Amino acid sequence: MTSDRYDDLLAQYRDGLAVPGSEVDRAVMAVVRDRQRLRSAAFWRWFVRPHVMEVRPLLAAASLAIVVGASVLGTTIAVRWSGAPAAAVPAGMVLVRFQLDAPDAGSVALAGSFNGWSDSTTLFARNPDTGTWSVTVMLPPGEHEYLFVIDGERWIPDPDAHALVDDGFGNQNSMIVVGPRGVVRS
Amino acid sequence: MARVLSGDAEAYGVLIERYRLRFGRYATAMCGDADQAADAMQEAFIRAYDGLAGCRKPERFGSWFFRILTNQCHNHRSRHRSHQRLEGVTATSSESPEKDLTSAEIRRAIDRALDDLTPDLRETFVLREIEGRSYPEIAELLDTAEPALRKRVERARQSVRSALEEWL
Repeated sequence: MTSDRYDDLLAQYRDGLAVPGSEVDRAVMAVVRDRQRLRSAAFWRWFVRPHVMEVRPLLAAASLAIVVGASVLGTTIAVRWSGAPAAAVPAGMVLVRFQLDAPDAGSVALAGSFNGWSDSTTLFARNPDTGTWSVTVMLPPGEHEYLFVIDGERWIPDPDAHALVDDGFGNQNSMIVVGPRGVVRS
Repeated sequence: MARVLSGDAEAYGVLIERYRLRFGRYATAMCGDADQAADAMQEAFIRAYDGLAGCRKPERFGSWFFRILTNQCHNHRSRHRSHQRLEGVTATSSESPEKDLTSAEIRRAIDRALDDLTPDLRETFVLREIEGRSYPEIAELLDTAEPALRKRVERARQSVRSALEEWL
């Protein structure tokens, strides 16, 4: 076994490695421009849609200014005084917050039995100060299995899960138990 | 990076070209195939764009993107290998295998050797032994201490040498 021969083989291998060409740049930029267009369109759709704003009496003047300003720009804000019923959680549903400390993640999604194990429909939001990701979802009472999907590819159990259950394929899912009044700790 | 974050999507093109050239050869070695590497890079750049707001330190975009790219490469490699296991490469000439070894055979032999490494060992080996990057640079890219990297390289080197023994 000679070191020279080993180095020579690695050098030949290295010399034969191709760098992906500029077609990668073009393909990615096509997607990026598309994303940009969609984001702009989504913002304007949101902006021109009527909104409901909760107003505290003490902040009425400031709120009025926002309403007037928005009207000038073309959107509509309906005002609801504080004390009126907040946006209701549908009967029989419970709000549940999931959280993950993953400062290096580029994206985190929640996939579970309640969303068809989709890795793209329930996305976490990142707190830029703490690097913690969280999302709040409405769930019906019962047992729900779920996993976190990091960067769209790493499926991991919730480190703070109440319980882990076998998924039947040699791995484990996190499980949460939701009661009528909230999460039930096992 | 700041321009992209402020909404200038075109500025992302500059980042793409820079990091495609910087990590392209690494991606090809990690995927074992240039087409797979192009796909992995494309997906990694799109994922990075979608998650830019989550990049904690914009000044370290390179390391952050490298992590995403490496994950994509591992995925592509395992997917590719599960569908198309490379045929075995063995020395055919008992007299002088060195003379008979073509560049394609070298590539297949080393690809097979890389297949036998764990993902951690593979990425460290490729960065150090194939690309010749310095340990401080690898430590920053992999966010791993240098002594641990040196051990990984040593273990990977032994494994690759062993896999290539008939050619050495």
